[in-house]
Amino acid sequence: MVASRDTFPLLAELLADQQRLQTPIARFSDLAAITPALAPVYRDLIPLTAPAPGEQYAFEVDLDACSGCKACVAGCHSLNGLDENETWRDVGVVLGTQAGHPFQQTITSACHHCADPACMNGCPVLAYEKDPVTGIVRHLDDQCIGCSYCVLKCPYDVPKYSERLGIVRKCDMCHGRLAAGEAPACVQACPTHAIRIVKVPVENGPHGRVTDTTHFLAAAPSPNYTQPTTRYVSRRGLPKKLVAADTATPRAQPAHWPLVFLLVFTQIGAGLLAAQVFGGAESPAVLWSGAVFFALGVGASVAHLGQPLRAWRIFLGWRKSWLSREALVLGAAAGAIAGGLALPGEGGERLLQAGILAAFAGIFCSAMIYVDTRRRLWAGEQTWVRMGGTVAIAATWWTLPALAVTLLLGKLIVEMATLAPGSIQGKLQRGPLRRLCFGRFAFAAIALASMTTAPSAFTFAMFVTGELLERALYFRAVDAPKMPGMGGQPK
Amino acid sequence: MTIVVENLLRARSGPMTSELVLHPAQFGLGRVPARVRPLGTVRSTCGFCATGCGLKVHLGADGAAINVSPDTDYPVNLGMACPKGWEALTPLRARDRATMPLVRDPSADRLVPTSWPTAIATFVSRMKAIQARHGNEAIAFLSTGQIPTEEMAFLGALFKFGMGGLHCDSNTRQCMATAHVAYKQSFGFDAPPYTYRDFEESDVMFFVGANPAIAHPILWQRVMRNPHRPEIVVIDPRRTETAMAATRHVAIAPKGDLWLFYGIAHELIAHGAVDERFIASHTSGYAELETFLADYSPEVCAEPSGVPASTIRELATLIERGRAVSFWWTMGVNQGHESTRVAQSLINLALMTGNIGRPGTGANSITGQCNAMGSRLFANVTSLFGGRAFDKQADREEVASILEVPEQVIPSRASWAYDQIIDGIESGAIRGLWVIATNPAHSWINHGRFRALREKLEVLVVQDMYATSETARTADLVLPAAGWGEKTGTFINSERRISVISKVARAPGEALSDFAIFRLIADAWGRGELFRRWSSPEAVFGLLKELSRGRPCDFSGVESYEHLARLGGIQWPCRGEDAEAIDAAHHERLRRPSSPLEGASRENSGERRLFADGRFFTSDGRARFHFSPPQPPPERPDEAFPFWLNTGRGSSAQWHTGSRTNKSDVLRKLAPTQLYVEIAVEDAGRLAIESGERVAVSSRRGRVEAEALVTSTVRPGQVFMPMHFDGVNTLTLPAFDPHSRQPSYKAAAVRVQKFER
Repeated sequence: MVASRDTFPLLAELLADQQRLQTPIARFSDLAAITPALAPVYRDLIPLTAPAPGEQYAFEVDLDACSGCKACVAGCHSLNGLDENETWRDVGVVLGTQAGHPFQQTITSACHHCADPACMNGCPVLAYEKDPVTGIVRHLDDQCIGCSYCVLKCPYDVPKYSERLGIVRKCDMCHGRLAAGEAPACVQACPTHAIRIVKVPVENGPHGRVTDTTHFLAAAPSPNYTQPTTRYVSRRGLPKKLVAADTATPRAQPAHWPLVFLLVFTQIGAGLLAAQVFGGAESPAVLWSGAVFFALGVGASVAHLGQPLRAWRIFLGWRKSWLSREALVLGAAAGAIAGGLALPGEGGERLLQAGILAAFAGIFCSAMIYVDTRRRLWAGEQTWVRMGGTVAIAATWWTLPALAVTLLLGKLIVEMATLAPGSIQGKLQRGPLRRLCFGRFAFAAIALASMTTAPSAFTFAMFVTGELLERALYFRAVDAPKMPGMGGQPK
Repeated sequence: MTIVVENLLRARSGPMTSELVLHPAQFGLGRVPARVRPLGTVRSTCGFCATGCGLKVHLGADGAAINVSPDTDYPVNLGMACPKGWEALTPLRARDRATMPLVRDPSADRLVPTSWPTAIATFVSRMKAIQARHGNEAIAFLSTGQIPTEEMAFLGALFKFGMGGLHCDSNTRQCMATAHVAYKQSFGFDAPPYTYRDFEESDVMFFVGANPAIAHPILWQRVMRNPHRPEIVVIDPRRTETAMAATRHVAIAPKGDLWLFYGIAHELIAHGAVDERFIASHTSGYAELETFLADYSPEVCAEPSGVPASTIRELATLIERGRAVSFWWTMGVNQGHESTRVAQSLINLALMTGNIGRPGTGANSITGQCNAMGSRLFANVTSLFGGRAFDKQADREEVASILEVPEQVIPSRASWAYDQIIDGIESGAIRGLWVIATNPAHSWINHGRFRALREKLEVLVVQDMYATSETARTADLVLPAAGWGEKTGTFINSERRISVISKVARAPGEALSDFAIFRLIADAWGRGELFRRWSSPEAVFGLLKELSRGRPCDFSGVESYEHLARLGGIQWPCRGEDAEAIDAAHHERLRRPSSPLEGASRENSGERRLFADGRFFTSDGRARFHFSPPQPPPERPDEAFPFWLNTGRGSSAQWHTGSRTNKSDVLRKLAPTQLYVEIAVEDAGRLAIESGERVAVSSRRGRVEAEALVTSTVRPGQVFMPMHFDGVNTLTLPAFDPHSRQPSYKAAAVRVQKFER
């Protein structure tokens, strides 16, 4: 049975009416209401005066008042006009036992505006600055190149990468509101006044310190690294032993494929070049393949950036940032290697040698980028063995295959130490990352097995693929410290 | 020069920086980024829960909403909102909105777009064909507490008076039916007596089966404003967020509640701690109650309630010593196999101690859905309009004359309840089902059965904002509906406050408001003339005013939607003679605005509670005591299924089946995104289950997979699962309270095992 719209004169009227919006009733008269209506409510929740020298602004969370409604997150999102999938505040839950009774507490957190901000210290382009008066750690959105190193550096998972903008954004404590005597959005939005802005004593210097970190949350990553300023206070006290509700569910981290290629290819390239130039081998194919690997590796770094056109500023952070240093040194190395290969004679030879030495220095900087995050997997021998191992195995592959095999076996044994079931890495590599993990060892096994005859392009390709997967695991299985989260979220 | 170089090197400004720069926004908002700076604002009321928060909708250049913030002048929420309120607009912009009617193509067995005329013609012809073959009563509808009163009323009138149907119910059966029946029997009318200010004025508060800290965060805000350092007792098997914030948590045994409250009542009587004057002047049936309670000493009640006798005595003492004692309950009470009596056991406690009608007192049901209260009074489902009875000739005559319809179109029998409609589908008595703004394939108890019954229906029509809900996906016909924010109407909140919702967004595609869809159907059904006066929501509001006149819920003193918006909602009753005082109190409030920090210090807040004069709505003006001996739950844990399964709200960021809240990235981030089961540390240890591990939870009715969350907040022998995830209701037990027919969602026996593929 088919009916036409003409048989329903009412329909046209209703469809048209549906698209008509009401004229707002008399509310345009509020146009003049410049004074925030909530000002009387939050008057006591923000400081009356700016911090004195030796002080800075900080969030203070009254855990007894926080009932877990999470309005702070939604209010921040809405009043700051953030993107649909972007939030600057997070909430989690900690569980424990207190005086024989079960204990649970919601934890709200945003940027801790640290006295010694790891994000700022690591930024290669100085896109972070700490306000000299308020201590607010601000991010310069038009300066950011979108390298996401701050995301790896911050132990509280604060900076958030925006796909739309290709940069990172984060909480700025609503500094524009505070400057005008208005409360930050989260403070305004909290129905129980659990969040306020206070002034805390800090010791300034090249690495700032919070005078008293005892009010930081025990269940959060240690305050010793970045000196977070947020205070979590409770009159009834917290149990000694508190566990984040998401402790048992480690989440696999992004693979950062451009970085995987950057690291593995520059390291393999440097190894191959070194074997040719310093090892006395004479194989133009290996020499040129080394150069190509190195160039591809350096080139891959650009693919990692959200705003590559701004990357020319990358030298700015060299005083503190290993990423800045890596970019400078690897860039210089690439130039020298290219020049060395292009120039004839001894000059070219010298330049090439200098370039390879610079490449080693650059690879040292690469390693330091990860060591400097203080993540458990990255801070120790895994970084040195993996990155140094790749260089050494590539260097010996064609000329000293027996040594290469031994080195690769040794490297695999060190990698296998991260499979212990108790650790975060072990849980991830045995759980959600098991296929990647299997692939890594399978490719290495094929490379080793085929090396029993002689090194060939095939065996080398198997080795390189294995190393790429190893490096992807290095990123994906890393422990990523963060504030307590919730249970029931995907791994 | 240095400045130029410095600026070149450090880009402190630019397009990305300006996105977040804050500008004074006017409208009392303080500073906001240019992107969300409004050109006007309009008042509306949140469309999630029954707290009924006022929202200030920010309008952009074309008069459409660009943002919302909590209304600072609104007497309910005082400038605050929970995350759902802040995100109220996001579900409207979801990509999976239904934009065209869809009809099932039988050859491909999938839903394909069609035109409105075809959809409406299909609706009418298929429903009429069923009625012709199987009788008028072979069609039914299941509706909602989420649409405005005007739409509910239209639906109830259209279905019963226009289409000749009888059996219909609403998802309010799942949440508020018990409170409705308990109040009706005890007070003579479905009349929650309180006003939110009572949260601020009690010195002893009982929260029973309620977790307002996350379920009604803005009501919890009112509790936190209480300046009397109240004793807050939370009675709940779990140590919830609210229990954490309380001064005392009583971890009751599942379904031990009736025993506990009878034990407390026994102890109050034994102590002579009852208000004999109040009982004598304002209640009837007390002597029978006293006799009945003689058998329920704290010692007797201790074991079945799971609460030691000494604690029962202490709770009685708290009530005895309290100056203003209030009892608040939610789904822990309403959803049980003897829930009406449990609610009444609380009402009895309030009545026998005279804790009613005074500030800070009352036996108070906190409502669930934004317009459950509108549904209870005006959906024309269980009760005839305005809390009248279908089986009373005088009531039918009155309604017929007000609405100018022939009296014989009004059925003289009550309709089946939700579970009876489901039984009717199974027996073949119901052949056509029309589902409006609800998702029974997810939410109905033991929903495996609901899904199986789908095959028995000749036609299933779903009218919803989304064609993707579990129910809509199985429909024969989907009618695309405009949602909250895309239409006008009124809600009634938990404290009886009638408030207006505003049309601030354009519905996508050809989606129409439920009101417009009902008009189309009325017209196509050949009943256009009968509903001539039902031309717009505000016209229907006028009819409802007339239907309320002289009833306890009289709001004939409300002038218009504009009046409601101006005053920030008006609580019923509001007779013509009350209106002036209400207006005066409003002006007083505006003249001396209160800060949420200030606590309950206002003299005249304009908030009103019922029964200050001790007169109830029964024929003799006396409240009744209702009681019966506690019955064992129909299913208890045993060897095969050793755990109690409790279900409930999991977070403040999720609403029921998630059909709207799952559309917001922010809300999804603030809530667990996959089904989990909370299990006690001791049980998990015994079963070698670790947090984060996959486990299988099964009952006699079904089996689901979930992630284990090992926690001390549930007691050994119990597990908790959040109701928001599809799957939980494959486990629940279809047991119903005999008076309210509300399902018992919180007590099923289950087994938990390590998951094996």
